Parts: sequence; C-alpha cells; structure tokens
Amino acid sequence: SIPTAAAPEADAEQLQTEQHARSVLRETFLRCLLSMSNKKVRFHMHGKVKLEATFGASDIDILNFQVSDLHTPIGVQKEALIRSQDVIWFTFDK
Amino acid sequence: MQCGWPMLGPLQWIRYVNKQVTVKAGKDEVHRGWLLTVDPVSASLVLVDFKENGGASVHVVMGHAVEEVQILQEADEETADRLRTSFLPPRTCGLDP
Amino acid sequence: VSMRSTTAPPSERPGERRRAEMKKLYGKEAPKILAMEAAMQLTFDRNCDLKRPKFWPVIPLKL
Repeated sequence: SIPTAAAPEADAEQLQTEQHARSVLRETFLRCLLSMSNKKVRFHMHGKVKLEATFGASDIDILNFQVSDLHTPIGVQKEALIRSQDVIWFTFDK
Repeated sequence: MQCGWPMLGPLQWIRYVNKQVTVKAGKDEVHRGWLLTVDPVSASLVLVDFKENGGASVHVVMGHAVEEVQILQEADEETADRLRTSFLPPRTCGLDP
Repeated sequence: VSMRSTTAPPSERPGERRRAEMKKLYGKEAPKILAMEAAMQLTFDRNCDLKRPKFWPVIPLKL
C-alpha cells in the first residue's frame, strides 16, 4: 500500500527524486530500529495500556516487534511479540 | 496536515525532516521533537529530543495512529548536524554523498 | 501430454518479484535497502525461532 508516482517519460526525474527521498527515509528508519536492539523500550498501546520491554527486532513490514522481559499490567512475559497495530507510540533513550 | 498522513508519500514526508514538529496521536496525546525520519512503509515518525547531557530520547509514533502533524520551526545547522549523525555508524559519517 | 494449470512452471524465481518491486520503490538505492532489510528480517526470524515469543496481548487491542 505504498503510494508510487506514475511514471511517463516526462516524470522520470520526479520518480527518481521520489525514489531517493524514500530511500533516505527508509534507511534512516532501519538504522533507528537496528540501534534499538537490547534497549529498554516503553510502548504506549491503545486503551491506555503501557508496557516496558527489552527490544529485540522488528519484521521489515513493521507489523510485529519481538521483545523480551515484557512487563505487562498482569505480569512479566519472558518472550513476546507486540503487534504494531496495537501500539500508538514507543520511546527509548539513545 | 490534518488527516491522511500515511497517504502523503515520500516527497511530502521529507519536507518535515529536520523540523521541530508536534504530532497528535491516539486521542489526546501530543508529542514534540525534531523529526528524524518517516518510515515510508509504515508512515511512522521518529522524533528526537536532545538532552543536556548529550544523550537523546527518541519517540516513534506509529503512522496508523497519527492524527495531526504541525511544523514549529526549522533546525539550525547544529541541530540538523546532530540529527543527521544520530543513527549513523561512525565510520560512514560524512562519506555519504 | 497436456499441462495442468496447477503445475504450470513458475514464471519467476523466488524473490524476483520483490526485487522488482524494490527497484520501483527505491530506484538505484534498492540493493542497499534490500540488504539492510534482509539482515533485519533474518534477525527477527532467528529470534522468533529461538525464543518462541507469544503475542501479547493474545487478542489484538485494536481490531
């Protein structure tokens, strides 16, 4: 569901500009995700649920986050997957 | 920007990079920070807040939860520099075209 | 011998379609993004194999 520009010849330059912008944005985002591994992350979920966990990895479609030592309102789960659709935002210290 | 944030696309998103923004997400939560990037796959925003001790706190707001993004100001050269290098491995600093 | 439609040979190798899509999205920087993504997905898959994480919550908060 990623929007792409239509590309007749005249728009080739525009397409390249868009591809470059997308690459820069994506690469920076991936670097940010990679830097999170083994960091403490706080997730703010829908329904005012707050979670704390040690970040592991994300899938490339950013659908699921794999975490460890997940502190939930009802206890600790050693290994967990969090659906990104359940998350509003998350935070960590660099 | 009021709605449809995930539909904007790279050419629009990149105009928010290096700007200080406020992001409204999930009902009544507002985030403020320097926009590092927007993931083109999930439309999620990465906001950086620099601390006095040289560290930084990072907020990632999921694209599907974004309700409103507003630009407050443009980064000065020093802030833009800190943003640009914040997630680069040291060896490639300054080597990218 | 008549060819059954269900056994038609694949017209593309696995990964070809994704590579083509990546090229369209990321242009000449596609190989770099593809490589970074492959590494990230590998870590994710490996962690899931090793640690067998369960979804939390079990039922999605937002349906």
